[in-house]
Amino acid sequence: MKLRNLNITLLFAAGLLMTSCAEDFLDVPSQEKVEAEHSDENYHPEALVNGVYGMFTDWNYGFAFLGITEIISDNANKGSSPTDTGTDKDILDALTHTSTAASFSSMWEHWYKSIGRATEAITYAEGYEMSDESYRQRLIAEARFLRALNYFYLVRGWGDIPIQEVDLIQRAPVNEVYDYIEADLNFAIDNLPLKSAYAAKDLGRATKGAAQALLAKVFLYQKEWQQAYDLAQAVMTSGEYALEADYATLWRSSTENGSESIFEFQARGESIAHGVRQYSQTQGPRGGTAGIGWGFNVPSDNLLEAFEAENDEIRRDATIIFRGETLYDGREIFNTENPMYNEKAYSSANGGADNTDKNIRYLRLGELYLIKAEAANELGNSSEALNALNAIRTRVELPEVTSSDQTALRAAIWKERRLELAFEHDRWFDLVRTKQAETAMPAAGKNFQQKHYLFPIPNNQLIQTPEMQQNPGW
Amino acid sequence: MRNLFTLALASLFSISLIYGQSKTVTGSVKDSQTLLALPGVSVTISGKAGGTQTDEAGRFTVEAAPTDSLIFSFVGYQRQTRAVGSDSEVNVFLDDQNQALEEVVVVGYGTVRKVDLTGSIGSVKSDEIVKQPAMSAMQSVQGKVAGLNITASEAPGSTPQVLVRGLGTALGGRDPLYIVDGFPTDNLNSINPSDIESIDVLKDASSASIYGVRAANGVIMVTTKKGRAGSVKIGYESYVGMKNMLNKVKMADASQYVNYYNENIQGIGQGTQLAGDQRHNTDWFNELLGTGTVYNNSVNLSGGSEIVDYYVSATNFTENGLLDGSRFVRNTIRNNNTYKFLDSRLKFMQNLNLSFNNSTPKPYGSFNEAYRQTPLAPVLFDNGRYGTSIYNTTTGMAGYEFGQNEGTGNLNSIGNPVYSVLRNNERRQSTRIQGGIEGEFQITDYLKVNSRIGGTKVYENGRVFTDIRDAWLNGNPLRTNAEFDKLKNDNPNVTGYADNSLMYSKTENFRWQWESFLTFDKNFNGHHVNAVVGFSRDKTGISNTISGTGYDVLPQEQYWNIDLASLDYNKVLNQKFFTPTALASYFGRVQYNYNSTYYATATFRRDGSSVFKSTGNYFDNFPSFGLGWTVTNEEFMSDFTALNFLKLRANWGVLGNQDIPLNVSQILSADGSSNYNYIFGPGQNLVLGAAFGSPALPVFWERTEETGFGLDFEMFDRKLSGSIDYYNKLNTNVIMNVQPVLNSAYSTNFFDHGGKVRNNGIEVVLNWRNAVSEDFNYNIGVNYAYNHNELTDVKPAYDGMTGGSLSNGQITKRIMGGQPIYGWWMWEADGVWQNNEEIADNAAYGSPRPGHLRYKDQNEDGVIDDRDKVFMGSFMPSSTYGFTLGINYKALDFSMAGYGVAGNKIYNALKGVRIDGGENISTDTYNNRWTGEGSTNLHPGADRDSYASSYYLEAGDYFRINNITLGYTFKQLYSPSSNIRLYVTAQNPFMFTKYSGFSPEIPGDGNPQLTSGIELSAYPTTRNFLFGINVQF
Repeated sequence: MKLRNLNITLLFAAGLLMTSCAEDFLDVPSQEKVEAEHSDENYHPEALVNGVYGMFTDWNYGFAFLGITEIISDNANKGSSPTDTGTDKDILDALTHTSTAASFSSMWEHWYKSIGRATEAITYAEGYEMSDESYRQRLIAEARFLRALNYFYLVRGWGDIPIQEVDLIQRAPVNEVYDYIEADLNFAIDNLPLKSAYAAKDLGRATKGAAQALLAKVFLYQKEWQQAYDLAQAVMTSGEYALEADYATLWRSSTENGSESIFEFQARGESIAHGVRQYSQTQGPRGGTAGIGWGFNVPSDNLLEAFEAENDEIRRDATIIFRGETLYDGREIFNTENPMYNEKAYSSANGGADNTDKNIRYLRLGELYLIKAEAANELGNSSEALNALNAIRTRVELPEVTSSDQTALRAAIWKERRLELAFEHDRWFDLVRTKQAETAMPAAGKNFQQKHYLFPIPNNQLIQTPEMQQNPGW
Repeated sequence: MRNLFTLALASLFSISLIYGQSKTVTGSVKDSQTLLALPGVSVTISGKAGGTQTDEAGRFTVEAAPTDSLIFSFVGYQRQTRAVGSDSEVNVFLDDQNQALEEVVVVGYGTVRKVDLTGSIGSVKSDEIVKQPAMSAMQSVQGKVAGLNITASEAPGSTPQVLVRGLGTALGGRDPLYIVDGFPTDNLNSINPSDIESIDVLKDASSASIYGVRAANGVIMVTTKKGRAGSVKIGYESYVGMKNMLNKVKMADASQYVNYYNENIQGIGQGTQLAGDQRHNTDWFNELLGTGTVYNNSVNLSGGSEIVDYYVSATNFTENGLLDGSRFVRNTIRNNNTYKFLDSRLKFMQNLNLSFNNSTPKPYGSFNEAYRQTPLAPVLFDNGRYGTSIYNTTTGMAGYEFGQNEGTGNLNSIGNPVYSVLRNNERRQSTRIQGGIEGEFQITDYLKVNSRIGGTKVYENGRVFTDIRDAWLNGNPLRTNAEFDKLKNDNPNVTGYADNSLMYSKTENFRWQWESFLTFDKNFNGHHVNAVVGFSRDKTGISNTISGTGYDVLPQEQYWNIDLASLDYNKVLNQKFFTPTALASYFGRVQYNYNSTYYATATFRRDGSSVFKSTGNYFDNFPSFGLGWTVTNEEFMSDFTALNFLKLRANWGVLGNQDIPLNVSQILSADGSSNYNYIFGPGQNLVLGAAFGSPALPVFWERTEETGFGLDFEMFDRKLSGSIDYYNKLNTNVIMNVQPVLNSAYSTNFFDHGGKVRNNGIEVVLNWRNAVSEDFNYNIGVNYAYNHNELTDVKPAYDGMTGGSLSNGQITKRIMGGQPIYGWWMWEADGVWQNNEEIADNAAYGSPRPGHLRYKDQNEDGVIDDRDKVFMGSFMPSSTYGFTLGINYKALDFSMAGYGVAGNKIYNALKGVRIDGGENISTDTYNNRWTGEGSTNLHPGADRDSYASSYYLEAGDYFRINNITLGYTFKQLYSPSSNIRLYVTAQNPFMFTKYSGFSPEIPGDGNPQLTSGIELSAYPTTRNFLFGINVQF
């Protein structure tokens, strides 16, 4: 009996021994998630660069972005139903927001994450085995362009900000951030092809012209007038771009990536649809027969009056959908809840679907004319300034400005920026840059205070990194 | 070798034959309960060859010496040994194993007599489970085990959420481990409740730690029925029932709605006033809800012999929900057999459970829609379209009639609930095959070896058909087919204008387990030792999923194939394999007691899990100890006659939780619309991209340490029994799904140990049972459990994740040290703004108007923002309690059970969430509203904001009578064991709660971060009436 027990015990022990190779059993390979250590075999650096562009299609650009670039300004109101707050759009509209308003937190985070992806893509491309060195440099340059673009948003919004690659808590002074942006953009200018030099399939990627145009705007913000002037001039004379003849078509699908386009957020509405998430839907006419949207970010009476005061019918009608209007494509916008909507967010093909086909125009030649005009005026070259300014006015059948007085011309150019670039996510930054906010905002019935020159650092960030300094007044 | 063995045996026998003087012993053997004579009982003499059997009358005669012991054994009965001594007549009463089972609990790799426990285990037996008929046995258990918090929804086919001794983790893995006949499973949904013999809940660490890394959420041991030798039984169980909504909320009618709407418009100062004489006055809940029905039919056969015991059952469970067309059908077949060889020394236990489910789910969002949709909208318009909230903005009349130059608008953006239910065309099927076989060999009296292997294979497929054109047309009664055609033509390839879409999906899932263990069980002079040692291998989640979508399929259902879909739209195919989880484990346990008075248990498990690959170390150890002392066995207690039994218990142990996905650094990518991808080229081609995810940190499993004390007692001739338990459970290294610092490079959440979770509490159980006479007995039971849940020691940057989204931009919960996990977090409502001066003079948020709620400026900084939000308790109750009452009088049986919770809070989002201002309100909201300065300082007016605040957070305490049953049994129809029982049951006939919504019992999906405790689209509690019949042949 004992021997038999021994046998069974031995058998049992053998079973235990068999399991001693448990480590192999437990080393289960990942199947649905690609392990980062396998990236070299499976992902080309181009995929990671694409991933940086991909951030433009995120929902944040469809909602939070509207709040802190437009609704907060004198151009736009929250819109929608009075009871629909749009998370915090009501308090942004009223300029009563605090550091806990979610839109700040969303965009702050989103822009930093975009920067993170760009830096990852740069590091990855640098270490990746590639035979075509100029291709590698192009990819790095694309990522650096995108990184600069995102830092530019942050520095305009918050002033001193941490440079992610340096330190997450210590806020670098504005001029250091601008140096950083300039270094990225200069690299991009040196290594990116012209718009026309790209293969057709790459239409939509960052170009040399885009980098120059962005750098021109970066210099404009720093009042580096000569450099702003030179770069704007370089883009305008590059032969790559021309103004669209008809302003009304500027934001329609027919002019996407067209002659005036310098850089756009690309979007696709057809199946498999992939657009800037809900951008057309959040701003689409609410209620009524069309009923294709939530009706946020609507033109303010203040903006309407600005158009009317200038008799600027072409741009007014291209920018604003009026209740009761039949649009260019035959869609009837009758009986809506709000009297006006943002036409630049409207897409014929979008009937309220999440993924809009609308390309968001980030930079277009029209703005470069105005950058050139402003820089030339500041440099004392009023004739160049007037030429550039009037090129924009002529297109929309407005009389030419003739005054060469620097102050009057400056005001004329600023006003032109407002009307030309309305709802192109530039107004708030322009108001703050030019300090027009102090008069323009009260005129729109909003109580602008000194603290509003900078966005509040999101409270959620300060919970995570309590050592970070808040902006003054918040 | 075998010869040697036989030789040794033979010599042993011959030795014993030399000693002892034989005499004739006679006697009878009877069943200890029925006192019927038992024929065929084997009577042998200990250590000797030969023996005899009882005759027809249960009598026997055998030759034995006074020093001998007689062994009586009979299949289906407990073996009994009697010393012969000077007796020549020996009468024996054998205990049915069935009866004996009641005292035994299943503890994992073995069973223990209940009186021998050192841990805290709650048990529920089959008769209690079937008394509360439900789809899932876990719902039947609600209120029956102290410390088990079960939140069940009455939605057809839903899975109850189960917490054992509080929520100890913030992870996805919150569910207890379910072990059915030794094999792990996800839940009990595929098991017919009447196939279950017992459910034992291992609550404390020393009991549960034998399951190591999976045990931190508690272990629920389920034993299914088996056949018993000697009794062939055929049973038929059937019930039918009706279900209705229990707690109907009275909604405002058309005229109240119009008043409320107009007051709102007046307050806002813009919009059209509605006219007073509206055409429709729709009661949406009346239109939406029908009477649910439930049918259950079950047949089972069982029996056994010396060679094989068998149990076979087949059951159909069908439930039609409250929503039209909502249906859940489950067919189960179970077969549990035991094959016995070598005089039962070698046994094979086989079990097989097949479950076939079919369901047609309907959207619970329709409850939300029924609450909010205006009574002015009809179910159907005159033109045959489904009603919407469209109205004439010139005349203020709801409907789509207008004259020229009159405008239209919508009162709200809410769908028609009736249409939502109708258009939802979804079908789900699943087939689940669960089976296993276990071999058991009794090597010697005291040593046995078991090995079992089993697996579960699940096939699921689903089909969703969406009539896109019909939905578009019914969105607005003015829309025409021609308009849709134009949009379709103008926007080719845009799926939003396809006529329809069809999606099929298939998922396969497999898991298997193999485990072997050796059990030693022996008595030495009062020292009883039971020891188990074994190993286990387990692989779960071997699964893959595939789904396809096509557009513009033919409208007839018979042609719904994606192959027949239009080529104008891209067909979409998704497929992936999932990473399985592997576990390799070794375990051992020693249970010792001396004279059933002093007890000690030590358990050890070493577990390795594949999940923690990034650490490079898969293994960890989980020890536990338990001590027990039966005080009443001591000499000095002999005077305390009122106290029949008293046992003190103490235990300590370590448990684990590993339920996170494979933790590796990843490259992230996705097909379709995701922010990794982008669009390039003149044709706007979708181009795939990728990004690095947050680097994986070396995360290990959660270790929960638990200490517990308890006592069990029986008093007054065992009429009163009960237990009291205290426990303190600390999850020492909670794995949190951490949001990276906002301005850091990576966006994906990562896993890290971020804090501790403490759950401590007490459990009290009391039972009184009394058999007054042969015809009359009764029992009363109460149980109560208190649990305190708290998150502590959170790493600084990990605090602050929010949750509880109301889908309107408002959130209601937050993670914070010192609070319950995802405690409620919102503004404290502080009265109502009475006038504009008040608003101007005080801190306010946004641009409020009189009649809006005021919020308290907690930090007194003059502004209202997130920093003024405060924690307000938890959606989880701190107390749960239950009671049962049973009375048997002759053939009548009556029982009643109740269940209650206290200390939880429910967010009434139905009442609070408002987007357009044209949503309907309850009559209470209407009647209580602020109507002008001084009218009320409690309730907001019709013009109000829609921020989340404590105003909508209500006490979720409730007490529900969940079962009243009256039965009558016709006994001994044509054999002693045949009977028919007829019964009627009322489930949830009464609920006592102050909560103003439909149901304070809101499981959500169990995820504390999401909608648990938020009533928004929750299924209402129902009141059910059942009639049933049980027949036993």
